[in-house]
Amino acid sequence: MNTMTINGQSGSLPDDQDALLVDVIRDHLNLTGTKLVCGSGVCGACTVLLDGEPVVSCLLPASAAAGKTVTTIEGVGSAGLHPMQRAFMAHDALQCGFCTPGFVVEAAAFHDHWRLSRGTAIPSREEIAAALSGHLCRCGAYEGIYRAVADACAGRFDGVDPTAPRIEARDKVTGLARYTVDIRHDDQLEGGILRAPAAHARIRNLDLSPARAIAGVGAVISLLADDETVRFVGAPIAAVAGRDRRTALQAVAAITYDCEKLPAVIGLDAGRHQAAPVVFEKQDRKRAHNLAEGGGGPASWRGNVRGPSALFSQKAKRAKSWLAEAHAASDPLLVERTFRVPTQQHACLEPHAAVARFDGDELTVHISTQAVHDMMEKIAKRYKLARDKVRVIADHVGGGFGSKGSLGMETIAAIELARAAKAPVRVVFDREEELSVTGYRPAAELQISLLPSPQGALKALSLTAQADTGTGVNSLIAGLARLIYPAEAKDLVDFDVLSNLPPGAPFRGPGGPPMAFALEQAIDEAALRMKVDPIELRKRWDPDPNRQRLYDWAADLDVWRNRPLPSSQTGRYRRGVGVATGYWLYLWQQGSTVELAIRGGRIVASCAVQDIGTGTRSVIADKVARAFDLEPQDIDVRIGHSNLPQGPGSGGSRVTASIVPATLLAIEKLKAEIERTAARPPSPGSNAPWRELIAAAPDLVVSAKRPEDGKPANGVRPALREAGFMGWVFGWVLRIANHMVVGAGVPSSVQVIEIEVDTWLGKVRVVNAHVGLAIGKVAAPALARSQAAGALIQGIGYALYEARETDPITGHVLTAGMEDYRIPGIADMPRLDVHFDEAGFDHVPGGSVGIGEVATVPTSPAVANAIHNAIGIRMTEIPFRPDRLAAALKGRDAA
Amino acid sequence: MNVASMTMPDAEFRAAGTDLSERRRSGVSKGPLVDIIASGESGISWGADGAATIGALTTIAAIAADARIISAYPGIAASAQNLATPQIRRLATLGGNLAQRNRCWYFRNPHIACLKKGGDACPARSGNHLYGVAFDLGDCVAPHPSTMATALLAYDAHVVTNHRDGVTIATLLGDGSDGRRDHMLKAGEVIERIVLPPPLSAERADYKRAIGRAHAEWPLVEVCARTVIADGKFRFVRLVAGGIAPVPLRLTACERPLQGSAATAAAIAEAAKQAAFGAKPLPMTNYKLELLEGLVRDLLEHLAA
Repeated sequence: MNTMTINGQSGSLPDDQDALLVDVIRDHLNLTGTKLVCGSGVCGACTVLLDGEPVVSCLLPASAAAGKTVTTIEGVGSAGLHPMQRAFMAHDALQCGFCTPGFVVEAAAFHDHWRLSRGTAIPSREEIAAALSGHLCRCGAYEGIYRAVADACAGRFDGVDPTAPRIEARDKVTGLARYTVDIRHDDQLEGGILRAPAAHARIRNLDLSPARAIAGVGAVISLLADDETVRFVGAPIAAVAGRDRRTALQAVAAITYDCEKLPAVIGLDAGRHQAAPVVFEKQDRKRAHNLAEGGGGPASWRGNVRGPSALFSQKAKRAKSWLAEAHAASDPLLVERTFRVPTQQHACLEPHAAVARFDGDELTVHISTQAVHDMMEKIAKRYKLARDKVRVIADHVGGGFGSKGSLGMETIAAIELARAAKAPVRVVFDREEELSVTGYRPAAELQISLLPSPQGALKALSLTAQADTGTGVNSLIAGLARLIYPAEAKDLVDFDVLSNLPPGAPFRGPGGPPMAFALEQAIDEAALRMKVDPIELRKRWDPDPNRQRLYDWAADLDVWRNRPLPSSQTGRYRRGVGVATGYWLYLWQQGSTVELAIRGGRIVASCAVQDIGTGTRSVIADKVARAFDLEPQDIDVRIGHSNLPQGPGSGGSRVTASIVPATLLAIEKLKAEIERTAARPPSPGSNAPWRELIAAAPDLVVSAKRPEDGKPANGVRPALREAGFMGWVFGWVLRIANHMVVGAGVPSSVQVIEIEVDTWLGKVRVVNAHVGLAIGKVAAPALARSQAAGALIQGIGYALYEARETDPITGHVLTAGMEDYRIPGIADMPRLDVHFDEAGFDHVPGGSVGIGEVATVPTSPAVANAIHNAIGIRMTEIPFRPDRLAAALKGRDAA
Repeated sequence: MNVASMTMPDAEFRAAGTDLSERRRSGVSKGPLVDIIASGESGISWGADGAATIGALTTIAAIAADARIISAYPGIAASAQNLATPQIRRLATLGGNLAQRNRCWYFRNPHIACLKKGGDACPARSGNHLYGVAFDLGDCVAPHPSTMATALLAYDAHVVTNHRDGVTIATLLGDGSDGRRDHMLKAGEVIERIVLPPPLSAERADYKRAIGRAHAEWPLVEVCARTVIADGKFRFVRLVAGGIAPVPLRLTACERPLQGSAATAAAIAEAAKQAAFGAKPLPMTNYKLELLEGLVRDLLEHLAA
């Protein structure tokens, strides 16, 4: 048997020729700081040092490490933090933290080489980007990473450990943070799922016994629905649990069944065709997956087309007739376009994963989830268990972005396998599963007509969205255009077009970015035709007080005032500047409760919320620390466990607005309780009276529920008020069914983006981004900036690179690896200017609302408007890849 | 090594494994493996004529960073500097780069049959071939994945295997008509070293790829260009493109009008239009011809500057 030296100790290497180093490190040596993500050398999360040089351990045969030294994240700075670890902490160069160990290993090696040869010179952005080009971060922490690498190389972190704005940062830069995929119980089995090989088929004679006969297999269960029908490639058929992944995969392969193929249809264009095979017959429609966050209404079906859903229309008939008249009269102000947006995958770096374990009648499930409390309730209900017998845990979550908010197959399979096997079972999706069957933001075709009145007001707007929802229903895109730019009449219609593809899921402002992609380009086009400055026109048509202030900020930016004249450039490289607006609902969750306790002279804050990289732990710690003149590190924050006081799900940008008011109320209660129970007052003239009082206080507990908001200022209304009676109904349903409240005031973002087009190579590069945000008082400035940066870079990914591709015949997802599903890298991050406008939410206790979604809504249309400014072409389909730019530029040259 | 490979004719050779490991994990590759990383040639040696010979197991990073390669063969150095990611370049070998399998998303998917996995048709041709060839030379529409092959063809390199000497890149990779193969190495045949002719006097060279993002993407189109310019005229032009055909292609229709012509932007732009000569794009790959023309202009303007 070969050996390596790993982190200074001898480690044995298996003789198996197919063993890969990452699996040896994680599974045999239990060094779980090294993460397995793409398995194909693309993302760098598994990077380790081999004889001092960073390499990807996911592609490295274990035998290649024989006789060599291997250093993992656990070995970097084992005698005290490495300067690069300190720099990552200080600059908040991380969010969910799942990519962080790989980045830190590479950056630390870069630092050590750099310091030897270049001293404390500062590396350029280009040098840093080239060095880290083999790493991907889905949260988009690139801005902090640039700063961290530059400052560490400059010698600014040679000294003491810094204070991090993110309180769990130390665990994340050292690889100690444990995610669901890192959980390992004694005697734990590994799960695997047999998935449908065909897009539409009846599965008969499913025989699980060959799998059960394999040594080391603990359980095999069927996951087939009662109609024995699978409706997309990858639909679950059965699950197995074996002593290791290889055994599980062997067992999956051993299961036999007859696959009677049924007619299938793939994608939007085929699905809506009259002669298309029907995905759900009438009696099966209830089997369609509901992809809406807030319920969704009934709708009629015609074949695979579900809709129209037009609840948010306003005088639709009038809008139709005005637009038809303008069309017939060739009104030069009438803007009519058809836009297309692609399917965007969440591409969480931590895959969907769950580890289930029964202890007697108690069930503990670690889940990579956005909602520990909600999952506990759903699991208790589904498996008829008492709520106090179910414990859901998510200490750290490697990204969610909306895809980890529901009870998924990873969790169902883990629980059912654990019950059958009478042993703990872990189910971790592989990258192909993660990028094909865990949900997505549906592609859509968007037809828009926008008519200004002769007086320059917005007269009529029509938007019809046909969403490519696979086997899901309840896309809402067009309806969202009701809540911005009031008009005399609006005709807003949503359709779901079903086909034999996996169902979508909520994704960061779900229908917001597609809606804005169409609407904000139409506004831009109208401004050009009306010869009005596009920001000026938005100021005229959009009375929202938050956005009025943002428009003033944007109009005053140098980059906007000095933007190129349209179609004024002829060279190879052309610059352009574009603007766009986005909004999102201000939501908060009723019943959100924060408990504050004093235990052994320290404050402990508890809530069954979770931190998916958004900074929830730190927001709670900051608020409490500030109230007691303490440091955030002085506060013990307990989250990520369902047996804590009820907390909100991390979705709908509702966490900050739900927990900050409850925290503030709990702080007041705790202060009163401390003063009431104090044996003696703080020493006279003490400069830390609270610290003294807390240290001397007996153990005590208070808790507070999220209170209602105060009375908003004049003119500050909930976004749904724009939608009149139907808006009221929608808000009422959200409150009753989901305990979510749509509060007054509209979180908003205006973005001014500067791009450069290389007309020879069809390449668009975002050079500068100015992000204006009105989200009230910023709860945690460094973390809010990280959220803004992350939302922007995901928006850039949507605009320029990302698209799921499928085989049009078989329905296989072709972009099921990180090589083909292309998310932005560090060099794709532009220079960023974030402007927080902190007014507008004084009626919210604490004054803060959420940021995560609103900041990604306007990015893609701002890029599109900038491209139009640069090359004079209205690009109608994202992503704006080189193939599309080349085709558009060629078409124009030919014309 | 040879003994092992003779007893296992289906065996795949494994150097660093940067291509093979992913196919092993997915199940696309299942046969026996023969490890060669510990037993082959690595390192760069130089002849008296200034020509380099590169051992097949020399890493891409070593080639990219070698001062003498950068000076004598800048097109090869630039190719090595730009392919894959830093972590991969530190492991991947030159021989492995030449003998790697293609990146087609149908080929890489273990659930889909294709010509290169023993199937009888190319599913990308009738399906989604966004990243497919624009010079449709065979049954399979996957472009050849080797950036180094593109550069080595531009330099008229020869390959020495355990069976043969003097194998040209064209012989090594074939003409692209056999849709079942990514290279023409026989069972048990392994690349041992790559032999380069000496560089021309006063030649300049460069390499560039067209990609969507800034870094770390397989090329949509890539070109390695070599020129000798004297008295303002092209005395020698060599252009080889990758990413557009089942094998790297010399762009002779582009090279020909430039030989002896003025090294001006206008002449370059005119010649670049010939880059697509002989192309047979697929429905989704027309754009590659635009990018090819742009890349040729970009590189030649840079070399003429």
